Amino acid sequence: MSVSIPAVYEKVKLRIGKTERVKLGTIRERDFQRFAIAAGNSDPLFFDGAAAKAAGYSAIIAPPLYLSSVMGWEAGPPEEVLRSDGTGGQEVAALPVEGLRLMGGGQDLEFHHPVTDGMEVTMELGPESVELKDGRSGQFLVITLTRRYRDQSDRLLVTCRETFIAR
Amino acid sequence: MMAGKQLLFEDVKVGTALPALIKHPTNVELFRFSAMTWNSHRIHYDKVYAQSEGYPDVLVQSHLHGCFLLQAVMDWVGPRSRVLGFRWQNRGIAIPGDVLTCGGKVIKAESGVIECELEERNQKGELCAPGWARVELPRRG
Repeated sequence: MSVSIPAVYEKVKLRIGKTERVKLGTIRERDFQRFAIAAGNSDPLFFDGAAAKAAGYSAIIAPPLYLSSVMGWEAGPPEEVLRSDGTGGQEVAALPVEGLRLMGGGQDLEFHHPVTDGMEVTMELGPESVELKDGRSGQFLVITLTRRYRDQSDRLLVTCRETFIAR
Repeated sequence: MMAGKQLLFEDVKVGTALPALIKHPTNVELFRFSAMTWNSHRIHYDKVYAQSEGYPDVLVQSHLHGCFLLQAVMDWVGPRSRVLGFRWQNRGIAIPGDVLTCGGKVIKAESGVIECELEERNQKGELCAPGWARVELPRRG
């Protein structure tokens, strides 16, 4: 696959600072509990209402990384529109990175308010920066996406800056 | 899991070490984590595809490394503490069968808030993910 990384860099650069808002829907405790179980974490704060209340919360809380780890909140996309590496959802905010291999590089998070069952969450996301770098195996891009998650009263829940490597 | 055990600000100082949390990622764990996060990247469940990219096996997800490190923090600080900030970087790969040890130490303790430097290493001692957390702890009395 011959994709010009500098060309992708220029295209992504044009998108810097542009954001979109996506309604994620209603947060459900079964979903975030499955997330916790899948990660091998049985912290009572995620499962036991009495334990959560004893710790000062109004109800059981979602694992703090739940919102920022889910890479797609929509029903799709159907398999035939996925990229060859299987990606293709909202993970890179529809950036023009077709033909490049993507790797998650990590996240930088601020937790403003706990996430609980029944919240209606909206995510504002957009690329914050893109860097063109030279590595041992050629050029690659470091893309930082910012996501801000808010509840139905527009209260900020989580701010996440996630880095992706595209090569 | 350390249910009910609560760390207090007075219990820690700069240099205090976090207890190690050891994780043994499996294929089933990676599959379920991909499913729950709607992560269809083949590198996490398709070994042939992962090998085509030069990896020995399917890879532990970026976010699962983060979950492991944050669990090490939350298990240690206890339920009445509040994690205010957290970050990690994916530096090295991990695959099913690896033994990942998460730990770290306190690098700042001020006004009821601590900052910790974190790291996740594999069984060879190689760094998979460095990290950092800022946590508010309850005080004694």
